[in-house]
Amino acid sequence: MANIIHKTKSAFSLGLTMARIGFKLQNEDSWFGPLWYLLSPVLTFFLMLGIFQDRLGNSIPNYPAYLLLGIILFSYFQKIADSSVTSIRGSAGIIKSINFPKESLILSNLFSILISHILEIIILILFFIFFGVEIKMLIFYPTILLFLSIFAYGAGLILASVAVYFVDLGIVWGFLVRLIWLATPIFYSIEGQTRLGIINLFNPMYYFISVARDIIIYAKVPELWLIFGMIGYSLLFFVTGLFIFNKLKLRFAELI
Amino acid sequence: MERIIVNNLSKEFKIAPKKNQTFLAKIISLFLGREQKRNLKVLDNLTFNVKAGEILGIIGSNGCGKTTLLRIISDIYPLYGGSVKTNGKIVPVIGLGVGMSGRSTLRENIFLIGAYFGLSQREIKRKYNSIISFAELENFTEALLYQYSNGMIQKLAFSIVIHTEPDILLLDEVFAVGDEHFREKSAKKIKEFVKNGASVVFTSHELGLIEKFCDRVIWIDKGRIVKEGKPKEVIKAYKKVG
Repeated sequence: MANIIHKTKSAFSLGLTMARIGFKLQNEDSWFGPLWYLLSPVLTFFLMLGIFQDRLGNSIPNYPAYLLLGIILFSYFQKIADSSVTSIRGSAGIIKSINFPKESLILSNLFSILISHILEIIILILFFIFFGVEIKMLIFYPTILLFLSIFAYGAGLILASVAVYFVDLGIVWGFLVRLIWLATPIFYSIEGQTRLGIINLFNPMYYFISVARDIIIYAKVPELWLIFGMIGYSLLFFVTGLFIFNKLKLRFAELI
Repeated sequence: MERIIVNNLSKEFKIAPKKNQTFLAKIISLFLGREQKRNLKVLDNLTFNVKAGEILGIIGSNGCGKTTLLRIISDIYPLYGGSVKTNGKIVPVIGLGVGMSGRSTLRENIFLIGAYFGLSQREIKRKYNSIISFAELENFTEALLYQYSNGMIQKLAFSIVIHTEPDILLLDEVFAVGDEHFREKSAKKIKEFVKNGASVVFTSHELGLIEKFCDRVIWIDKGRIVKEGKPKEVIKAYKKVG
């Protein structure tokens, strides 16, 4: 038990150090650098708002907030998943030279994306104020983000380890994530669409985004099955991710 | 006290004639049958021990299994057959400077590599000045690593390694680095570790260094131990064949 605690602590410590250095490197030690990260979600938001507000947004109350929250939550997950795909193969040199907790590579992705996500939250608050949405319910955002991070970490562990065995996983994942993006009700509502509703029962992102919208935008308690789905999927992916990663990591150094 | 006990250690790699690591190739091989793979035996039934306070040299031609052996002892590669027991903190040095970030400062690199070697942030903070001073880089702390010469990077990497306080030091082709003065200094530091009970396994093609620093030498060829014994005798036998 003490060994597991020590290993987890050193994985966290290494993950944090790598994230801090990676973040500084990406932004050349300036706070202006991360502003570029905001460009993608903000531009996507305005583009989709312009296209869909009149067609799909009329029946959705507070559509701009609905859209922006969906985009920001999905982009947080996607960034962690995308960077995980290349994390093991991209660190071949060090993996073949030093025996260190490989989980820290995925953790460092999560930490550095979490840092830039803080800026996205600031944008979210500013937009909420602009569109007249109450911001007090944002107090629940960190709890939802915690479960989303656990889920994304689990998914990252699975993607990172499977990518060692399938060199073209990045291409397949790029296609898959686009499908998940389209299937998730980010810019539309699935109300009344039975088939899409059934499909989304198997889509973890549906639960995180729905719970977040219910609480933060509509200030209502989400249905219990949505909350259980959110917690259940995050724990399921976390446990499955740890299991797969621990099974496969033994041969990482041989295969890269 | 034995620091390393290696018993009947074997290692095989599966060699596929074609790359078979894409989704499509895996699906096709499901229908056409599995692609034939050849087993390449890299280490074959090795048995040896390393005592505390001993420097063991390993010699052999390229591809004889020296680096694979160090990777197995340090748990980077999994075992295939046999067993490896170790006693103490293992620090492998397989390629100095690997993992360092060129666009980061000296300080960031010390924290990064120190963390890779399992040092906590507090330990690194405590040893920070000593690492810089041993590497003789006090005047270069503000520079980014890509501005350093190769020798300076090696000195820094070596200084971080020796500050990890290893019980078992595994050196792959690196015993002493940098200029003559630094080479002497680092060799002296390694001897100091050994005197205090650490063990060193050192692989090299530099037979002069092996003869000068090692207490015992193992000659490996095609994954098997050909000869083991005093440095002079083993090197003499190796030179005869080589």
